[in-house]
Amino acid sequence: MTAPAARREEMLPQRKSRNAFALPSVGFIAPAVLLAGIVLYLPFLYTTYISFTDYNGLGDPEWVGLANYVQMFSDPGLVNSLVNTLYWVAGTIILPVGLGLFLAVLSHGLPGATFFRLPFLIPYALSGVAVGVIWSFVLQTNGALSQIVGFFGADAPRWLLDAPLNTFVMIVASSWQGAGVNALLFGIGLQSIPKEPLEAAKVDGASGFTMFRTMTWPMLAPLTTVVVGLSIVGSLKTFDIVWGMTKGGPGGVSETLALTMYKETFITNDYGLGAAVAVFLTVVTVLASVLYLRRQLAPERSV
Amino acid sequence: MKQHHTRSALVAAAAATALLLGACSGGGDEGGGGGGNGGDGGDAAPTELGFFTDKAAWEPQFDEMNAASGDADQSTLSFTGYSDAAAYDAFIKQAFRTNDKPDLFTWHTGGQLGELVEAGLVAETTDLWEEAAANGDVPEGLIENYTYDGKQYCVPLNVVYWVMYYNKQVYADNGLEVPTTWDELMSNAQTLVDNGVVPFHQMNFIFEFVWFQTVVAGSDPEAYVGLQDGSVSYTDPTIVEAMEVWHQMQTDGYFIDPGVTTDPQTLLQTGEVAMANFGTFFTGQLNALGMVPDEDYGIFAIPNVNPDVEAQQAIVETGPLCVGAGSANEQAALDYSAWWMGVDAQNAWTEAFGDVSFNPNVESPDPALSAVVSQVTGPDFQIQKRWLEATPVPIYTVASEEFGAFVTNNGDPMAHLEAIQAAADAYWAEQ
Amino acid sequence: MTTISTSPPVARRRPFSMSVLLRQILLAVMGLIWLLPVYLLLANASKRPEVFGDYSIWQFGDLGGLVSNMADAWGRGRLSLGILSTALYAISGPALAVIIGAAAGFAIVALRLRNGFFWFVLIFASTIFPLQMILMPLFIGYAQTGLYNSRVGMILVYTVIAVPFSAFVMRNFFSGIAHQVFEAAVMDGASAWRIFWRIYLPMSAPALVAIFILQATFIWNDLLLGLTLSQSETVRPVIAALSALQSTYGGSAMSTVLAGGLLVSLPTVVLFLATQRAFTRGLSLGQF
Repeated sequence: MTAPAARREEMLPQRKSRNAFALPSVGFIAPAVLLAGIVLYLPFLYTTYISFTDYNGLGDPEWVGLANYVQMFSDPGLVNSLVNTLYWVAGTIILPVGLGLFLAVLSHGLPGATFFRLPFLIPYALSGVAVGVIWSFVLQTNGALSQIVGFFGADAPRWLLDAPLNTFVMIVASSWQGAGVNALLFGIGLQSIPKEPLEAAKVDGASGFTMFRTMTWPMLAPLTTVVVGLSIVGSLKTFDIVWGMTKGGPGGVSETLALTMYKETFITNDYGLGAAVAVFLTVVTVLASVLYLRRQLAPERSV
Repeated sequence: MKQHHTRSALVAAAAATALLLGACSGGGDEGGGGGGNGGDGGDAAPTELGFFTDKAAWEPQFDEMNAASGDADQSTLSFTGYSDAAAYDAFIKQAFRTNDKPDLFTWHTGGQLGELVEAGLVAETTDLWEEAAANGDVPEGLIENYTYDGKQYCVPLNVVYWVMYYNKQVYADNGLEVPTTWDELMSNAQTLVDNGVVPFHQMNFIFEFVWFQTVVAGSDPEAYVGLQDGSVSYTDPTIVEAMEVWHQMQTDGYFIDPGVTTDPQTLLQTGEVAMANFGTFFTGQLNALGMVPDEDYGIFAIPNVNPDVEAQQAIVETGPLCVGAGSANEQAALDYSAWWMGVDAQNAWTEAFGDVSFNPNVESPDPALSAVVSQVTGPDFQIQKRWLEATPVPIYTVASEEFGAFVTNNGDPMAHLEAIQAAADAYWAEQ
Repeated sequence: MTTISTSPPVARRRPFSMSVLLRQILLAVMGLIWLLPVYLLLANASKRPEVFGDYSIWQFGDLGGLVSNMADAWGRGRLSLGILSTALYAISGPALAVIIGAAAGFAIVALRLRNGFFWFVLIFASTIFPLQMILMPLFIGYAQTGLYNSRVGMILVYTVIAVPFSAFVMRNFFSGIAHQVFEAAVMDGASAWRIFWRIYLPMSAPALVAIFILQATFIWNDLLLGLTLSQSETVRPVIAALSALQSTYGGSAMSTVLAGGLLVSLPTVVLFLATQRAFTRGLSLGQF
């Protein structure tokens, strides 16, 4: 996939300058590659090895080939985890990303924007321990949300007990924490957009929404890629909030892939099976993000 | 082989260092050698032992234990607590593959300890148990939790009896008496429901199995034991019947809504639930809210479901304190374990925790606890292992999910039992 | 999403605009909804444990209760011991990661590293591995290299964890900077090193600050890595101690847990408040 772009670059006149900075370019990227390689890739390789073994955390792993993968794909529970994980991906791209963009655009250039953005950032700054407790106050039976619903005379559903409702309300809870961060990132994107083209478009009489669609949105693309890319990865790995609020239950109905992986590894002590789920999860995530990033980033590389 | 060499070399080096350190710090001021009342075979100098536990909240109490062990010229513990129990288990197991083997650590009885014993990771404590038994420091039957192939491993860290806590005010307001039979307990529950009070607490995670063990053990103790070795099936009529009892209780509205996540101690304090089936560690949580035992709340042993069962059934849970085999301070940790089982240490324990001790020579300072403990350890009672430790992990994992769903939705009991039995069949087939 | 029609620059140009007011009102209302759970946190952290159950969840306890609960959490959780090392990790980790990530982005975008996309994906993909699965191998590796339970080891892992995010944001931020800026600097005879430090980094102040605070907050609140890779009270991050309050066996009362959570969150909230100013300042720098 890199070949056509490279060819294109070679046809460009700055070929000489690219060569001139070949060495520095390697030097500049080396720290990031080396650190990620040693601290993150080595453990992952080890996990991949474990996924082909039978291992309970004690003694030596015993090679079993693809047995863990066979077991994983023949478990009906995996489908449930996969579906919940997809809910999380879709929900995360709609809610926190959409809200983040909305908040960023709404507050951009607004007098007192800093002040107005603050309430959305505070949730991210709170420690996970407190956030979990707070949301259990909100979502438990007769909790804050049920009281509000009851105030309007309606019967509150069992927020955290029934699937798929429990997954949906947890997505809302995670949006509460994540929207502000996305707004912050979109805000950076909006700040870096040069004023002149927008001014020119305004002089040409472009209306608000048209201008957003034709001018602002395309120029926001680099940061949109960041936000969406991170959201895809983050939502595929969803763990903390589900573990904190339902432990994947009741009866496993709100389990995500990351929870399945965790439970197999650390609760059942079937390290091999847990590792197989981890590898599967990683492959899915790499595919999703490479497909997305390739589409988003490839054209820019010829700039 | 190579690993063994380096390991023993390390142990030797560590022991030498410990001796040197001990010799230096001892400085002859305390008159040395005072092995106290505990470890007799102990010849290691007192030192600071690396101690690991998943009971992370116990650090202040272990400070008090350090004061006591320091006074007794014993080692002290350097406390490292893990708040994530699953991460803790993994950490301990992996630690044995490194040079940082834990000197002392807390663990779980049942299959989980069996695994460590099989892998040769924990030091044998047979001598310590013999000595403790001779001193009358351990109650009968407790040793079974620590015995593998006729040898003992680890010592009891603590013991927890599963009993019923009740709100005295709620009982008085509804004109209820402490029940001595299951029927009385159920009639109390019905009165409470009629008066708009929720009788019992239960949870749909962590402790979702509690009522299962209470009802099964109280209906047919032999079947309860049979489940543990696979000789009884989860779909046997006696288990199904017990499950139906639980099902009916849920149908009758005897339990709090499964969606309520408020702390059980708070629910009992406010009278939102009248009773809570809990381990004796619950006392600490209630006292932390300013509740007074025998005044604000009382404790009673839960009567058998089946009145024809002769011995009263009581569930007990015990957690081991283990010495890492090949750890840097192995001998000092064994000495500490010996001291731990003795009266002095256990008095310090009950004082620090306000809890019960496994040691029959030590009485809990808490009158309510003390009364119920002497009752359930008395001649009329038969002690059963807690279901969680008594069940192999792969069965437990499936069953806890099934029970969680059952508590939440109160669906058909048979479907859940069949799912659990499928896991049990798979497990026992491999043994 | 149709409300977006009030595009910012247009609105700002008008001498008086209804839309500005409307946007402010909309943001304020949403902000209030967002703060409801925060209010619940404050209200319930301020109730004394003995009377916690007597209140409805909406009622506020009292200020004295908040203070005494915080003091209780501080003492019982021994939060003071971990707080300095946590601050060290939360500052040095993301600070290093921001530079390393920016350097990677610079190499790819400005210096046009050969096969840049591949290297970029390689770095980015490292953020994809589920953290829970690298814990145990990391622990073994740390124990074998002596990094276990050392501050250097903690700074190392926190730096690396923050690098992919930083590289991603910076790579994309740099791609918004016209390449002519780079070429002009080269014409003036500047070295890559100098261009990076003197031109690209200063131009990216808002992005750098954003990455820093987001990653600092993440590290400040991290539990798993801290729990697994350290043991002594002076090396362990504060959250490991805080979460101990919430134990099943002998945990603290709900209000103490909340007060502890609140207390530990204060530095990150203050960090967000403080850097908001830096943002508005950074804005003018970003307007090249």
